[in-house]
Amino acid sequence: MTHSGMRRTLALVVFLVSVFWLIPFLISVSGRWNFYFTLTSVALLSVASAGVWLTFYIGRINIGQGAFALIGAYVSAILVTKADMSFWISLPIAGLFAGLVAVLIGLPILRLRGVYFAMITLVLTEVVRLAALALPITNGAKGIVSIPLPGELSILGITLIPDFSTLENPKLAFYYTACILMVVCYGALYRIVNSRLGHLCRSMQQNEELASSVGVNVAYLRVVIFAISSFFGGVGGAMFGAIAQSVYPSSFVVKDSIDFMLNCFLGGLGYVFGPMLGTLTLYFGWDLLFELGRYQLLVYSSVLILLILVLPNGLLSIRLNRMRSLRR
Amino acid sequence: MKRRSIFTALSAALVLAAAQGTVGLAANPVLKVGFVGVTSGPAAAWGISNQRSMETRAAWINETGGYTIGDVTYDIEIVSFDDQKDPKRAIAGMEKMAQEGIHYVVGPNVDNGAAAVRPVAEANGIMYFPYAFPKELYMAPASNAVLGMVANYQSGPAIYKYLMEEKGVKTVAFIAANESDPLSQRDSGLAAAEALGLEAVSANVTYQVDTTDFTPVLTPVIRTRPDLLVLSGVSPANAPQLIRSARELGYQGLISTETAQDAQVLREGAGDLANGFISVGGASTPEIASDMMVEFVTRYTEMFGEYNDESNTKVYALEYILATLAANPAAIEDVEEFKQTMDTFEAPNPYMKGDAMMRYVGMSSFGQRRQVAVPLVVNVFQDGEFETLFVAEVD
Amino acid sequence: MEQVIANGVYLGSQYAMIALGLTLIFALMNVLNFAHGQMYVIGGFVTYTFYGQLELPFVLALLMSCVTLAVLGALIEKFLFGPVIRRSAREESTMLLAAGIAFLLDAIILLVFGEKQRGVPKIVDGVFNWDFRIIMPYDRILICGLAIFSIVAFITFMQFSKTGRALRALAQDRVAAQLMGVNVNRYSMIGFALGAMLAGLVGGLLVTITGINLGMGGPTSIKAFMMVMIGGAGVISGAIAGGFILGMLEAVGLAVLSQYGDITYLAIFIALMVFLAIRPQGLMGKPWG
Repeated sequence: MTHSGMRRTLALVVFLVSVFWLIPFLISVSGRWNFYFTLTSVALLSVASAGVWLTFYIGRINIGQGAFALIGAYVSAILVTKADMSFWISLPIAGLFAGLVAVLIGLPILRLRGVYFAMITLVLTEVVRLAALALPITNGAKGIVSIPLPGELSILGITLIPDFSTLENPKLAFYYTACILMVVCYGALYRIVNSRLGHLCRSMQQNEELASSVGVNVAYLRVVIFAISSFFGGVGGAMFGAIAQSVYPSSFVVKDSIDFMLNCFLGGLGYVFGPMLGTLTLYFGWDLLFELGRYQLLVYSSVLILLILVLPNGLLSIRLNRMRSLRR
Repeated sequence: MKRRSIFTALSAALVLAAAQGTVGLAANPVLKVGFVGVTSGPAAAWGISNQRSMETRAAWINETGGYTIGDVTYDIEIVSFDDQKDPKRAIAGMEKMAQEGIHYVVGPNVDNGAAAVRPVAEANGIMYFPYAFPKELYMAPASNAVLGMVANYQSGPAIYKYLMEEKGVKTVAFIAANESDPLSQRDSGLAAAEALGLEAVSANVTYQVDTTDFTPVLTPVIRTRPDLLVLSGVSPANAPQLIRSARELGYQGLISTETAQDAQVLREGAGDLANGFISVGGASTPEIASDMMVEFVTRYTEMFGEYNDESNTKVYALEYILATLAANPAAIEDVEEFKQTMDTFEAPNPYMKGDAMMRYVGMSSFGQRRQVAVPLVVNVFQDGEFETLFVAEVD
Repeated sequence: MEQVIANGVYLGSQYAMIALGLTLIFALMNVLNFAHGQMYVIGGFVTYTFYGQLELPFVLALLMSCVTLAVLGALIEKFLFGPVIRRSAREESTMLLAAGIAFLLDAIILLVFGEKQRGVPKIVDGVFNWDFRIIMPYDRILICGLAIFSIVAFITFMQFSKTGRALRALAQDRVAAQLMGVNVNRYSMIGFALGAMLAGLVGGLLVTITGINLGMGGPTSIKAFMMVMIGGAGVISGAIAGGFILGMLEAVGLAVLSQYGDITYLAIFIALMVFLAIRPQGLMGKPWG
């Protein structure tokens, strides 16, 4: 226990040092400033993907995270532009609102399983997009544009977060913010998985009827998990709205929902950090292949298929195999 | 973690190799112009016609010795980024352009992409030429976007007015896909039509972009028997099907759109049923195309196998960028110089017969010169070809 | 009203055919084939190439579409889905592979056939007009008839041929079928090829009416999923019912709700969600998904 505990602490330290020091250092040395935005995107998308992964954990295929990301983006944008609220307060509200919507929708639809649940969440993404087009508060097709950058956050006169518009390099600020969000989110995810709640989730993933028969309140549990999942989606979406300083009904669409799910598959459904690695590979991979021009998609998809053929259980299953062989 | 640094190193190496490759080829210094737009997926046709017209023109310039700006003759290199019609990718693309030291970018192709890249463009000193119509992009305090074509709220009124006077059109119906761009265009088209005194008999029917059968969509619209049916912001893929369905339902009136279309696509998709279809085009119809435009079409066809008429409206942005830079070489590194030059810039339009001029306009629409002056060419489709109906100017 | 029903039947017949192939593949292998729409698009482009470009007879072009897709489907099953299904811990993982194949086919379509919308000359001219109560072009009637004929032929094949019986046995219970001496690997491949072939056939038929472009793949897959879910996943009769119901829903929905404009599709999709929430396994599906 102490040995593996030490290893875990070491891995965490290495991870934090790389994210918050090594990567900025490498970027400033190489001068590849544009990687900040790409990595910021990876961090935020992996927050949303973490939510999808959590629904996988209770045995549901969730292709609806785009809907909650869009809801989060709109809630934050509306609060900031129409109610003059600070972005930092709107961020958790966006997540909570997405979670609330998830509770209301989840109650009826979480009874569905397998491809049926997958399908209904896919339709949900389209429903939210069309609702955003039709509702007056979202400004319809014209979207919400010219959203101000996140302002100052201070408590008792002490500045916790400076005003982004006064910063010399808001890119770096967004990068740190996104990374902090990602670390907090995966920390929470890790806690959930290794708690009693996580244990119950695993039993649900195996067999819901059985779990229910031994006294697990399955209906309550899955709504809670779905709400947490959507909270992650809402927060990720809201943060993206702040970076783009605009939100449109097409900011998150069915394709994004599918991408969130693919990130989880690629990283590996059995690993908490799978969605993070999956997002990094899928999203960053596309950017890296930028030089290939018209063959970009061809190479991208071929590499993806090869990866699946070699590692059908996700990228992180490499580690699993190695550990298994060590144990033997 | 290690993986990330490997990726960083790998991509740095890739970029380096690519940069060396281009330098090795050319004797002239290279001037990079960017393109951020959609070149894969459902809307690929928009971006690809755009990217290819830029590449055609660049190859042509390089073959004939380069483009002289001030005392230096440059080879032109087009750096393209596929944003997959995703605003998140579009931002990444714009960041990439900044990284490459590019100050002039054509694109993105859609409203949300154009809005999303604005912060990046303004922070990095990039002028960009989107094909998106929202006025906020071009009005102060925004100052880095230049509308690369004629907006539908400019072309629409001209077309409606012409049709009212020449064809006695009194009622109009609008139909649009339920996406941001077409719906915005429908709303502004509707406002323009009503301002001219047209009666809108149907303006709220929408369709999903993936519709495969437009008969049910169009049936209620056709029932209102409009004199003119406007396909707002219609994509080239949907246009022939809409025309065909409308005609097969027995619709006899006029059909028009304010976006550019391709004659070949209309010919294959709707055949003779598309006769009389009115759309906005560029300068390739024989009546107005200059020799240079004809050569451009020939070169494009040689390079890519098949011409796309949508490129007629997209040939201009690159030409404007280069000509403005030639007028003020200091603008190569400083877009503020570019903005100043825009107010006075004037040069002959090489793609059109006659004495048409290239200059920046937009005072009446945006309050500042943030639009390229391209001729508003209104075409009508007749027996497989476009004919010029009339040509107007935008101010 | 007659027009609405006619529109619905036409839409339904083409939807049902798209859904058939998808549900067959799902029933046999539990694979939600994200690449189904791309297969449909390839079918359309093959017919376009042979009928539109090379001016060969339409039937021959249609046959070429079927053959191309059947071969493609067989190869995809043998070299991609088969190995991955055997080795993955959770069978949903095949969704990633299906999506990867969809991307790959999209890339190939763009490189081979280009980005433009394509169409072919009409196979029959003229419009059937019954006193302005039903207006339907003859080519649509013909395609609708061909689609219904293909559906009937497919059901007959599944009911009465030896291959069909083996496939049904496989769909019902993989292990039992294997014990009864059905060569599971072989029939999985045949089944996948058959499903892909159906996608190609619809593509070939519909290119004469709607034309084809590379963007139609993804949305077509998603629409096909909806039909399959309405009817019940993995059930052939369910797919047909789902196709016709979605076709009718669209035709009627558009006719009734058209005055509300932008919310027409919103209403249709919400109705779909409510329906699935009430009836979680579709009309006739297995309660398990």
